[in-house]
Amino acid sequence: MIKTKQNLYEGMYVISATLSDDARGKALDKIQSGITSRAGEIVKIHDQGRRRLAYEIDGHREGHYYIVYFKAPTSAISELWQDYHLNEDLVRFITLAVEKVMDKIEFKPLEQAE
Amino acid sequence: MFEQRPRTTSAPSEPADFRSKKRKRCPFTQAGMKEIDYKDTNTLTKFITERGKILPRRITGVSAYHQKRLAMAIKRARHMALLPFVAEV
Repeated sequence: MIKTKQNLYEGMYVISATLSDDARGKALDKIQSGITSRAGEIVKIHDQGRRRLAYEIDGHREGHYYIVYFKAPTSAISELWQDYHLNEDLVRFITLAVEKVMDKIEFKPLEQAE
Repeated sequence: MFEQRPRTTSAPSEPADFRSKKRKRCPFTQAGMKEIDYKDTNTLTKFITERGKILPRRITGVSAYHQKRLAMAIKRARHMALLPFVAEV
């Protein structure tokens, strides 16, 4: 058996804020099952909560942000991309290859010299 | 308190001009950061104008290495609606 190479990815998803909590949970499940069904593995999920969008997207002014770290074979990424485009609950998404998982989405401010 | 005025008898390569008294330092190099994250909107907003445009490094003093990464991060943040493409003033 040849084990396919698994890479670590970070996906950020903006789910429509007009959905109910239930529907939003389902939308997130759909994202997760999309990854796991393509031989991927969820590593960590950060719920970033509701946030005002910087600009209006398809009538949405607010969105619910999620950051998902997952491992998946490279071939899965383009399939996921096509999937996400057909998903109407998903306002925006981005998938990036990353080196490591962030335990907390926190950043220390740049110290201003002098 | 008082900025020391550069003497007019300084080396010819140094302009004897009160405006160019200090060399800017790259804030990312000083902080020892290698990568710039698009999720770090608090930091990114310091490098865009009120309108939402990316500030040139001639103003901010960011090194070429970091300016490239900074621009990438800002563009990613814009895509995710974390930052505006055009902010209304």
